[in-house]
Amino acid sequence: MRMSIFRFNPERDAKPYMQDYEIEPAPGDAMLLDLILRVRERDDTLALRKSCREGVCGSDAMNINGRNGLACITPIRALGKRVVLRPLPSFPVIRDLIVDMTEFFKQYRSIKPYVVDDGPMPEKERVQSPAQRERLDGLYECILCACCTSQCPSYWWNPDKFVGPAGLLQAYRFIADSRDRDMQARLDDLNDVYRLFRCRTIMNCTEVCPKSLAPSRAIEKIRLLLAGRSL
Amino acid sequence: MRLVLTGLRAWLVQRVSAVYLLAFILFFIGRLLVAPPQDFVSWRAWVAQPAVAVAMLAAFAALLFHAWVGLRDVMLDYVKPIALRAPALALVAGALIGIGLWMLRLLSALE
Repeated sequence: MRMSIFRFNPERDAKPYMQDYEIEPAPGDAMLLDLILRVRERDDTLALRKSCREGVCGSDAMNINGRNGLACITPIRALGKRVVLRPLPSFPVIRDLIVDMTEFFKQYRSIKPYVVDDGPMPEKERVQSPAQRERLDGLYECILCACCTSQCPSYWWNPDKFVGPAGLLQAYRFIADSRDRDMQARLDDLNDVYRLFRCRTIMNCTEVCPKSLAPSRAIEKIRLLLAGRSL
Repeated sequence: MRLVLTGLRAWLVQRVSAVYLLAFILFFIGRLLVAPPQDFVSWRAWVAQPAVAVAMLAAFAALLFHAWVGLRDVMLDYVKPIALRAPALALVAGALIGIGLWMLRLLSALE
């Protein structure tokens, strides 16, 4: 099959270009990442991030035939004869498939991704009932691969001001946490023109999430909490 | 009450006005289909009924608010330089207010 891969080395290239490789999967190759690593055996100048190779670390997020996903859990047989690989859309390219995620993590940090409780420390651990714990299902599994945020047109236009789907999913993860005591401040923080409400319910985020999470639903729940609070 | 349409407030205005506009448009088209006014006089008499006039005025108010939130959203996304965005927003606001005043004049001239 033919792999067409985005190449850009800022030290050498004036402009990015697409490079084609003819490659056949060897026996035992199941996922796209296996193929990419075969390409790299042939051409060791190809740069990409990868680590756990089983969809847990979120390092090898890339744009696969126009759609963001993790190369390590994308089956080869689900792809056609021709595969086009590009770095995550809208993120600044560092080299080849490696992008600069500084802004993404800045937005993530801005929602305070930790339990806030200024009360006295409990003697033992902070207890949570099974029902309270269940409310975090579908939220805590996010691996911050940025597939959703990088596919979000609202984020493309305002990456510095709009938190983006990944950050908002995490914002709701802590709003929904029974141990957190900061819900009102969290809601206040999101209630302006940009941070939450740049979302136009395009729902690319939920469409591409490789972990099958639903950032758009989390965003909807934050909106409903804000609306309920203002009544 | 703060007049600034931001965050949740703008979002709510957009949703509520959309629902009202949908209801009004269905009512309006339904009325035209079921009992089309035969001439200008009967059309004018229909619009001049207080209930219809108020509903129409409310629909135009909803339309203007809806358009304001929507167009401002487009400009926040696409018109980045503040020197360009401020006049563009002022132009939109001026046009929308103009349409509103014009509509008010038309409806108040009826009776």
